[in-house]
Amino acid sequence: MNMSNIKLGVTTHSYVAEWVDDKATLEDMVRHIADLGCDGMEIVATSMFPEYPYVSDAYAGEIRRYAKDYGVKLVAVSGNMDRGKRYDRNLTEDEMLSIVIRDLQNANKLECPVLKSQFLISPRVMQRAAKYAEYYGVKLTIEIHNPETPTSKIMTDYYNAFEETGSSYLGFVPDFGMFADRPNKADMDRAIEGGANRDIVETAIQLRYDGVSREEGRKILAEKNAAPMEMNLFESMYGFMQFSKNPDFDGLRKIMKYSPHMHGKFIDILDDGTEATIPYDKILKVLDEENYDGYIVSEFEGQVKPGRSSFDYVRKHIALERKILEELNR
Amino acid sequence: MGFVMRVKLTETLRDGTLKNYFENGKKAGYQFDVRLAYYRGHYLSVIDEFAVEVDHEKVEDMDIRFCVNGKEFMPCELKEAYYEFWNIKKPATIKIRKEGGLTAGEHNVKLTLMIRNPYLPQPGAEDKYTPVDSCDEKVLVLQDTIA
Repeated sequence: MNMSNIKLGVTTHSYVAEWVDDKATLEDMVRHIADLGCDGMEIVATSMFPEYPYVSDAYAGEIRRYAKDYGVKLVAVSGNMDRGKRYDRNLTEDEMLSIVIRDLQNANKLECPVLKSQFLISPRVMQRAAKYAEYYGVKLTIEIHNPETPTSKIMTDYYNAFEETGSSYLGFVPDFGMFADRPNKADMDRAIEGGANRDIVETAIQLRYDGVSREEGRKILAEKNAAPMEMNLFESMYGFMQFSKNPDFDGLRKIMKYSPHMHGKFIDILDDGTEATIPYDKILKVLDEENYDGYIVSEFEGQVKPGRSSFDYVRKHIALERKILEELNR
Repeated sequence: MGFVMRVKLTETLRDGTLKNYFENGKKAGYQFDVRLAYYRGHYLSVIDEFAVEVDHEKVEDMDIRFCVNGKEFMPCELKEAYYEFWNIKKPATIKIRKEGGLTAGEHNVKLTLMIRNPYLPQPGAEDKYTPVDSCDEKVLVLQDTIA
């Protein structure tokens, strides 16, 4: 048995469909998390903070009450780096640093140990932000999300920047979507039902599996007279729906020391209890072997089927993780 | 245009919100509420296109006010509203100056609302961001209670 301490939680983003449509309150989410036997919640600032980009005393009090009454505490604030918010230019380094300092201050006020920002922040701004993260006692992290991997060029630049500062307050939040090892069958079936040619869809999948470059794949599909919808499907396999036969688990091991928090991305849980595209058994095994000590927050990003709610999907996801963890610790 | 995001989780043009408003004892115009079709709030400065057509006629920009957080913005002021955040849960009220207001009954309202996702650059671009479509068109009913 390993010495890992893998804790499960949920990000508010999982419940965004009900939240935006006024069908669920923050307290409903907290209640659900407690009901699942979890004690950690990640909160998405730009969606949830009533006074974004600020945190009022009243809101901090509300969050504190949830910790006291439900036993659910904030384990991460998920921030956005809106580098393109001006029409005339990107934000400068100073402007981005200002956003990060305010977000760190907010996380501190909410008694939250981790702030997740986004890669647009730049390695230099991360370095400059280290002393503020240390001051507030909040780890400043960036998410590694599809199509990036733990060892892609940008993330390697960040890794080297972290090493250079020597600060233990900088890090990564890996999103499990980048370890997908197969396409989403439901998406493929839907595309074929919607008129996509089965042979072309299968060719596209094979090109991706074979690691054929995007440009080369486009050419091959164009020669097969692929229609725009088939091309779009192919493009998605190189973007947010990326998958690979050999996910970057070695990269995950390498960055583990810089990962205080992780995103348990999921699109769908199949009837057999597995995730539709992401090999949770393999990922959790790596985390267990590397003695991971931190939270995995369930992040549902699929389509809610009619008659069901995001809450149902989160429940199934937590059950899937628990089952794998029990087997690993047997 | 390439890839455009569409994330509609709630009604954009809100039923039951079309009404006339008064100034100085007279009907000075009408208003209705709008929610952003996305999953997070945004600064008003990311609005790239904003236009309103009512009963198939384009409304002049100078007659429109975009109202959030207790403030009223002219359309030309939106692009520099870098610090005015439109919460995803809060409706914006669109006020349109029109002496005499609108007649009671059904009106076709068409909203053009395109934003850019300021944290999501387009692939391979440094300063171009992914567009989000928050447009809507529907018939809203004005129930005029003040003659």
